[in-house]
Amino acid sequence: MRKIFSKAIKFYQRWISPAFGPRCKYYPSCSTYALNAIEEYGAKGIVMSAWRIIKCNPWSHGGVDYVLSKNSKQPIKTGAN
Amino acid sequence: MGSILNPLYYAVSWVMVTFHSFFGFIFGKDGHESIKWSLSIIGLVIVLRIILIPLFVKQIKSQRALTALQPHMKEIQKKYKDDRQKQSEEMMKLYKEHKTNPLASCFPILAQAPIFFALFTVLNGIARDVPHGFLKGDLLNAAQKAEFFGANLSSTFLSSGTNGQTKLVTIALIVFMSATTFTTQRQLMVKGMPKMDSSNNMMLQQQKIMLYVFPVIFAVTGVNFPVGVLIYWSTTNLWTFGQQFYVIKRNPTPGSPAYEELIKKRAIKNSETGELPSMDGSAAGDVNPDQDDETNQQKQRQQPSKKKKKKKK
Repeated sequence: MRKIFSKAIKFYQRWISPAFGPRCKYYPSCSTYALNAIEEYGAKGIVMSAWRIIKCNPWSHGGVDYVLSKNSKQPIKTGAN
Repeated sequence: MGSILNPLYYAVSWVMVTFHSFFGFIFGKDGHESIKWSLSIIGLVIVLRIILIPLFVKQIKSQRALTALQPHMKEIQKKYKDDRQKQSEEMMKLYKEHKTNPLASCFPILAQAPIFFALFTVLNGIARDVPHGFLKGDLLNAAQKAEFFGANLSSTFLSSGTNGQTKLVTIALIVFMSATTFTTQRQLMVKGMPKMDSSNNMMLQQQKIMLYVFPVIFAVTGVNFPVGVLIYWSTTNLWTFGQQFYVIKRNPTPGSPAYEELIKKRAIKNSETGELPSMDGSAAGDVNPDQDDETNQQKQRQQPSKKKKKKKK
């Protein structure tokens, strides 16, 4: 299940997202966040990603928002650039 | 799923039915179902996009507010030029600090998906004789006969069998969708964005995707969609193009090629009329930001007069 999600997100990042240019108000972007969240938290990660996307709305000011690792509570920085 | 989307079925069908009866005044209460229903779908797009205009204006405003942040941004780029991650982090912090974020945000695109899905279901309902929302009874029967250039609104490429007209119209709409998406993006890349060092690379990649990947995506999904949905999709693409064209012409992003063109034009015109050239960040336009932000503290802004606006066309 996690694999399907990450495949879909990676497909989006590779083929769809570049066509629309950067649009996410956060860093790392919603898609990278979702990738890391689902990798680290599984189903809970899906909920986290959905919440992140809802937060990424026209009234938000964005900001830096990493997924925190389960054990060390350190920000996961993979995939962000 | 169906029950969650039920209000949306009602909303979508209500807008369509309302437009349908409105066009009834123009084309007559009976007959002309084809044009009435086709225009109803287009009307739905227009209503939706008008509702979304404030969001668009808001985004343009925050993009313009960036002019004031330009020095900070340059500093960050210089300071972290070997560390893109840190650079992006600092940039986002800067936006947040100044409560302005030029990026469009992710939610609106996803929010459109349910509406699109609702329209898809409502139109599919016409094909399969299933009423949704307000589209039932006589209206449903009338809608079933509606055509767009001879293709049934609820028919799809794959379900149309030997109906060549539907296939033709579907293909034409898919080509149109690909073309508008491509032109819109190209225009934004070439004229609408501030020049960046990395933009050339990005642009090539983007154009490749727009040219090859998008038509394929449109084609694969498009053959499964009813003609009515394709009309919706094409119209919304056309709207996006027009909206962007307007902004790039009338109120371009500071630093973009279109902006420089506009400044040049104004300088020429000003020297003709003997006015002082206004080189401030307020390239005038109807969606101009209210100038209460930091942009103004640095430079005196000249109020653009009506006369000026007209000539800029």
